[in-house]
Amino acid sequence: MRESRIVVVNRLGLHARAAAQLVRLAAKFDSSITIFRADRNVFANAKSILSVLALAAAKDTELVVTVSGEDEELAMKEIEGLFANGFGESLQ
Amino acid sequence: MVITSEPESRSISVSDFLDAISERHPVSSLSSQAALSEHYLTSSRVQKLGLALSGFADKIHKGRIQIYGNSERSYISRLSDIQVSEAYARLDKENISCILITAGIEATEELVEFSEASSIPILATTIPSSDAITAVSNVLSERLAPEVTIHGTLMEVFGIGVLIVGDSGIGKSECALDLITRGHRLISDDSVRIREVGEKLVGDAPSSIRDFIEIRGLGIINAKELFGVSALSPSVEIRFCIEFSEERLGGDRLGLEPNVMPLLKSRIQKYPLPVKPGRNLATLVEASVRVFVSSQDGPKAVENLLHGHANAMNATIKN
Repeated sequence: MRESRIVVVNRLGLHARAAAQLVRLAAKFDSSITIFRADRNVFANAKSILSVLALAAAKDTELVVTVSGEDEELAMKEIEGLFANGFGESLQ
Repeated sequence: MVITSEPESRSISVSDFLDAISERHPVSSLSSQAALSEHYLTSSRVQKLGLALSGFADKIHKGRIQIYGNSERSYISRLSDIQVSEAYARLDKENISCILITAGIEATEELVEFSEASSIPILATTIPSSDAITAVSNVLSERLAPEVTIHGTLMEVFGIGVLIVGDSGIGKSECALDLITRGHRLISDDSVRIREVGEKLVGDAPSSIRDFIEIRGLGIINAKELFGVSALSPSVEIRFCIEFSEERLGGDRLGLEPNVMPLLKSRIQKYPLPVKPGRNLATLVEASVRVFVSSQDGPKAVENLLHGHANAMNATIKN
């Protein structure tokens, strides 16, 4: 199991299109991927779009991503990458 | 998935409290948005401001609503101007989180000045103190209850709240759709907010995804538009949980082993249902509700079966 703290850096936050990108990426992996928003005690399954949208994670929200399974190393690397590059949006 | 994590002691901003209570009661604000957002409520109990105004200022508890009603008004009206300013000067500004004026009483100049100088928010309502106190405690005990949001689908089946959990893509949403077409009601799909109010677990939908279902192949659909208001329910008490899983059930084939799911500080009955092509999940969920309801009173079917079976065996031996 791998755990990583991730901050939402893009201006629009985890909006619908960003969430769809995340879910599409997460669904490629066999590992189970959970996202936790501590300040509101919300758990989401990264493979379910409504669940991810329910995080309502705006810019600067802190999230904890937990990945567990055979391909967890690659899954975590790619998810961290997607958040870090702001879902391909400009980071301004 | 860990879903028992203990939330810290909870608080709600006066601004959020106002949004919540004004949905049900005529309550409005006399203060700036900044004052409303800066102050927090931490207890569902309320206090009458009268005690503090009359000199017992140390009796004020931080994080509670202070009620200013008819008794406070008549007390203040009997004081001289100097005594009134003294009464307000004595108040412990640090510990007053919010003042609620009840019974449609008009805020006095001194009270407004006190609120502006200390940036303590004032709310006002037309309902009398006794009713306002009940309304405030109800809203706050709901809002301050421990809360968690988890991945799952919540349905009301035969009037019973059933939480359905399981991996993504296992068929929870399709099952919800099936249950809706059979006349049952959806509370929330894919994400359920659960609050522990008293001894009950109450579930509803996170506001951002209320009314929506995701059906693979069709995308996100609006259940209210497609099926009408009767297909949805705003919230329900969660009585038990069903876990869909792809694993083959090796163990319990009789349904005798107790299976529980911890949620916040409670534990609820859990029925694990293996998912396979050809199994009608909606029928199985309906049957689970019947099993759950009948298990609440009287012996379980399986105990009757075992009893009857034992009798039949004994009869065979005797013959």
